[in-house]
Amino acid sequence: MGSILGVNKKQAQILCVGLDNSGKTTIINKLKPKETQAEDIVPTIGFTVEKFKSSAVNFTVFDMSGQGKYRNLWEHYYKDAEGIIFVLDSSDKLRMVVAKEELDLLLQHAEIKAKKIPILFFANKMDLRDSLSSVKCSQMLELEKVKDKPWHICSSNALTQEGLHEGVQWLTDQLTSHP
Amino acid sequence: MATEAEQNKMNDSLASDGNRGNSQGGSSKWLSAHFDPVASLYTFSSCMTFSDITGDGENRLVIADLGTGAHNMKLKIYKGTSLVNENTIIDLPTGVATFYMDTIEPRVPAVAVASGPYLYVYKNLRPYFKFTLPPLEVNPVEQDLWNQARDDKIDVTVLREMLDSIRREGTEGALTVRSLRFLMLPDRDQMEMFAQSYKHTPLKRQTVITCLATLKKSSAEDDAISCLVVGTECKEIYVLDPEAFTIQARMSVPSVPVFLRVTGLFDVEYRLVVSCRNGNIYTLKKGMKTGKLCVELTSQPVGVERIGKNIIAGCMDQTLQCYTIKGKKLWTVYLSDNIITMSVMDHKQKGFKAVMVALDNGDVQIYRDKYLIDTIKTDSAITGIQYGRFGREDCSLVLTTRKGGLLIKILKRNAVFEEKDFARGPPAAQNQRLNVPKKTKVFVDQTMRERENGVAMHRMFQHDLYRLRLNTAREYVKVLNSSMNPVSTNLAEPLKLSAQVQGIGPTFKMTVNLQNTSLSVPIMNTLISFLYDEKLYSLQKTMIPVPLLVPGLNYKFETLVECVNDKGISDVIKAFVVKEGATSPIITAVINMPVSETVVVA
Repeated sequence: MGSILGVNKKQAQILCVGLDNSGKTTIINKLKPKETQAEDIVPTIGFTVEKFKSSAVNFTVFDMSGQGKYRNLWEHYYKDAEGIIFVLDSSDKLRMVVAKEELDLLLQHAEIKAKKIPILFFANKMDLRDSLSSVKCSQMLELEKVKDKPWHICSSNALTQEGLHEGVQWLTDQLTSHP
Repeated sequence: MATEAEQNKMNDSLASDGNRGNSQGGSSKWLSAHFDPVASLYTFSSCMTFSDITGDGENRLVIADLGTGAHNMKLKIYKGTSLVNENTIIDLPTGVATFYMDTIEPRVPAVAVASGPYLYVYKNLRPYFKFTLPPLEVNPVEQDLWNQARDDKIDVTVLREMLDSIRREGTEGALTVRSLRFLMLPDRDQMEMFAQSYKHTPLKRQTVITCLATLKKSSAEDDAISCLVVGTECKEIYVLDPEAFTIQARMSVPSVPVFLRVTGLFDVEYRLVVSCRNGNIYTLKKGMKTGKLCVELTSQPVGVERIGKNIIAGCMDQTLQCYTIKGKKLWTVYLSDNIITMSVMDHKQKGFKAVMVALDNGDVQIYRDKYLIDTIKTDSAITGIQYGRFGREDCSLVLTTRKGGLLIKILKRNAVFEEKDFARGPPAAQNQRLNVPKKTKVFVDQTMRERENGVAMHRMFQHDLYRLRLNTAREYVKVLNSSMNPVSTNLAEPLKLSAQVQGIGPTFKMTVNLQNTSLSVPIMNTLISFLYDEKLYSLQKTMIPVPLLVPGLNYKFETLVECVNDKGISDVIKAFVVKEGATSPIITAVINMPVSETVVVA
């Protein structure tokens, strides 16, 4: 009954990470209700907290800054995270190794290792000419080695919202089926 | 277009191979972002730079490729892992620099390529301006000779001889390029043709740019307007104005400049460190006309870098030497191989500068002060090395190999460089304090006693030592008297006896070896007999008659010994060699019998 009225919906705290300029803030911005969307997206400093709703879950997202000097902040929010959104710039082949390094650090962190939380990957900027496919991205990140956590990768274009809802739907399913 | 796409595809697959296999091995501080073994780049550190040449916040890699050294010279621009632009260069490039030449928005830096006597300036990836070095004065005799040749007053052989004599009396640089080329021609026909085609053009003597650097004009900001500093073959250094390309300052050094390092601001105060072809390093300050000798190196420099107030020079004698700006030597590091190239690693996040040295064996060593802090191993010798911001990554390292490959590495975010040397010097354990317990009262008392009674203690020790020696000598005499030893000392019967026991029991085999050790006297009428506890052992033969013993030969006698006791006790068996009719044995062997095996099992 409560879920129909939109109250007593499941609450979930999500952490959104990824390298700088991968499009984290843009993705979160597009997921927010139309009237609260920001016009201009500027590089995030530190982090921002955003809220948005999907069909069954109310999300609270910690949108972390991806700049090198702020990446050490990520781990302070691992403890309460019930899900992770990892955004990749699929056109930045050079820094795919850096993304892999950051992902490995994340997965090896004590707070994350112990938990079986879902990880959603957005292979963003799929519209760019020399972007990598989501399959290629998952190959380069060696996602096949991630066996102890549910994960899903979908290519996206945050500007046109392509692929965003597929990803959020998967995350919603994961969070509601394993309460 | 199709070929470019194909090449990109090939690069992709190779890049992923490089990532996956990590075939480059090396240091764990670096991520292998890209490896293209067939990039076909032939370039050096001075011809590589990073710059945001499109003004979009992503740094591109600008490389002046020397091609084959005669053809295919190109200015190449890399964006990430892919080659985005190529511009052909006419002559061999000697240096590349990027600089802001104006304040027009959007701020886009220009690329300057030094090549021959020209500076080619590119803006927005398009040729923008060509600066030519001022022409030098032509030797009047040479000018006169070519004038005469033009008017057909002299023929080519005379021209050649006269030019050759000028060449011999002065340095080669005194002649124009045309005369030098003319002198190189092998036969008369070619000389004739050469003279015919060039004699009507006016004679010009030009110099060549040897090195290139930038100098901020009036403010030190990253995007401030910079002047270009150019070193030339005619031993001069020019500072060029970035807008009008006029020579703002003209300085000279005693030899041809090779490496140029610039610090400071042109309008305020600046200092040039110039390494020259004569192996000396000169310094120049604002307002100086000629270089001041700073360092006379013992060997030719391969690279010179300025870190803080120090000058670091990599030399051909496999050393890395550090000097102060005043020319005082601070330290020397001896390297394991020849240096190919070197460059500065400015790690802004951690706030330190280190010098990277590429060696002939493919290693890239990173020195912070004189301490080796990291080594990167590669398959091929590195000819070009540059550290800086590439793309959006601040800590990128681009390496080009002698085989033409391109490697891009990225420093890990959490990489920690040791403060001190990790390879040389005393190990860290040596500096660790040992947990030595406090001196106890007993220890102190003992020390006091030793100090006070040293003489008495020494005497006591000597006394005991003599007693020990006396006892030993007495025992030895006793043994000799009773012939208890296995080697006979009796000169009449010089014999050697040894015995061994084989088997695990209860039956053992005892072998007695007997040797006459005299040189010529045979020994006769001897017997071997045994003494043993009859409750423990029974012997097959208790007495063995010995035949005549020929000197030198080894005789072997065997008997079976059976252990008759099952209590696991063992005893000794004595073997005697006796002379018939004598009462004491000649020699004796004492055999320790092993414990019988069956008894142990039971």
